[in-house]
Amino acid sequence: MNLVEVQDLKKSFKRHFWSEKKTVLKGINFNIPSGVITGFLGANGAGKTTTMKCLLNLIFQDSGNIIYFGKSEFSSEVKKKIGFLPEHPYFYSYLTGKEFLLFYGELSRTLSKKALIDRTESLLKRVDLYHAKDIALRNYSKGMLQKIGFAQALIHEPDLLILDEPMSGLDPDGRHYLSELIKESAREGHSVFLSSHLLHDTELLCENLVILKDGTVFYEGSTKDILNTLSTQYKISYLEENFQKIIFEKDQLQMQSRLKELVAKNCIIEKVEKDRVTLEEYFVKNVLEKRKNEVHLDHR
Amino acid sequence: MKSIWIIAKNTYREIIRDRIIYALIVFAIVMVGGALALGQLSFTEQARISANFGMAAIHLSSVIIAVFVGSTLVAKEIDKQTILSILSKPLSRTQFLMGKSFGLILIIASLILGLSLILVFVFWGLGVPITSSFLVAILGILIESLILMGLALMFSSFSSSFMVVSLTIGVFLIGHWVENLNFLSKKSSSVIFILFAKASVYGFPNLERFNWRDSILYGESVPIDEVLLTTTYGLGWWLAFLVITSLIFRNKNFA
Ligand SMILES: Nc1ncnc2c1ncn2[C@@H]1O[C@H](COP(=O)(O)OP(=O)(O)OP(=O)(O)O)[C@@H](O)[C@H]1O
Ligand SMILES: [Mg+2]
Repeated sequence: MNLVEVQDLKKSFKRHFWSEKKTVLKGINFNIPSGVITGFLGANGAGKTTTMKCLLNLIFQDSGNIIYFGKSEFSSEVKKKIGFLPEHPYFYSYLTGKEFLLFYGELSRTLSKKALIDRTESLLKRVDLYHAKDIALRNYSKGMLQKIGFAQALIHEPDLLILDEPMSGLDPDGRHYLSELIKESAREGHSVFLSSHLLHDTELLCENLVILKDGTVFYEGSTKDILNTLSTQYKISYLEENFQKIIFEKDQLQMQSRLKELVAKNCIIEKVEKDRVTLEEYFVKNVLEKRKNEVHLDHR
Repeated sequence: MKSIWIIAKNTYREIIRDRIIYALIVFAIVMVGGALALGQLSFTEQARISANFGMAAIHLSSVIIAVFVGSTLVAKEIDKQTILSILSKPLSRTQFLMGKSFGLILIIASLILGLSLILVFVFWGLGVPITSSFLVAILGILIESLILMGLALMFSSFSSSFMVVSLTIGVFLIGHWVENLNFLSKKSSSVIFILFAKASVYGFPNLERFNWRDSILYGESVPIDEVLLTTTYGLGWWLAFLVITSLIFRNKNFA
């Protein structure tokens, strides 16, 4: 089942009223399926944030439809089922972590007062900020803000989490912690739609991918499939008369016969491994390649 | 309705925790205190001067808060991008606007209440009788602040902070002056001036109508139907500003 269906979404921006229109989304189509973590990828400026903001009606598309839980209206009922973490975690700096969660939880109007207090406590513990619950957000570090932002998105038990670069700007430890949190909430039944530039984390985290390129959807489907599109080969490392050698074989059968041959020649087999293509390599080759020679004069 | 109240409560908390508000409150208290000191200077008109000065202090400080806090009330949320997460919660943009407005109204009302209490003590000490016209004068100040806040909020939905404050102060000055303009136009023979004056009278809120402060001095009471009519007039302006703001806000892109 699809939680959200995006149909032919178009959006262009004008930087100044005299400058030319710049089309960011040229009619994109994709679905956010239920029960999985979907990664949303694309180069800088590809339109990921723009798409997410359209999903949340923070900006309005020029044309195209978005269907939420089978309905075309972005009503309060729909909002109650969605949790959102914006790209830059700027929140009310004058509130403490606990006040902030209580405020947003109360606003979400899905929990009773008692349930909300319990939920706030347990979320604070879960994102490891219980010790900082009475500290004002202005004194939080970037990592702490990202975590409280994540808790804020989860406060009302939404069906769908929309996270815009939840792990950007965090140290490896923080990234690991947050990706564990995301996995945990996915296991609990929250579907997740997250954008990221961290392809290694994305590969481990996301079963499903939507990739934007040049204002259209370049790929939509499972992460496994995309990695299998480039042929995987076997890499055999061996010693022949004390010389280190490497040979590649296309499939298992050829690898087996090559091994027999090498053993017969008295070579010493050191290592046989499947040479996997990573999402990172795939991305650099297929998604980013065209941009290498482009010069961007947008950001004056 | 509940969402509006939740936002209002938080806005109240936001303003209370902002240090700038305390500078204003201290300023206001010093002015009200000054009313007492000034009164001491001239024995003949002690009561008159104290009342005049004290009321002016309350008027000025609530107007200043309405304009300055009103101009940043929502603009700050857009600037700091806090609006992105709050608007993705189940509340409409209009509810958000109303919540922010009510939060500030609560602040202004508390301020007026606090300062009035101080003034009541001052009056009491000086032996100035406290009559219903005192309450009416306070109501007038509250409604004028409401209009100016609505105006600042409206301007802030399409221009920068500095412009908002300038424009709102501009309307404040014109608003207090339109009555004179109207008076002058009756004596004038210039058609252009009369047209200009008429346009101003209808195009700007006549803020002098809410000035019931003098009636305290003269010990007269304002007729109840005038109070009701003027209150309705004031709320009408505020509502008009709120509707316009809401219409602009509804289609805004928070990119
Ligand atoms: N308000 C705006 N006015 C003009 N152009 C805009 C505006 N908002 C976004 N853009 C442009 O739209 C394009 C897409 O921006 P967007 O933020 O959606 O990209 P992104 O995929 O999220 O990038 P990143 O990975 O850097 O976060 C960019 O080229 C950006 O310059
Ligand atoms: Mg982005």
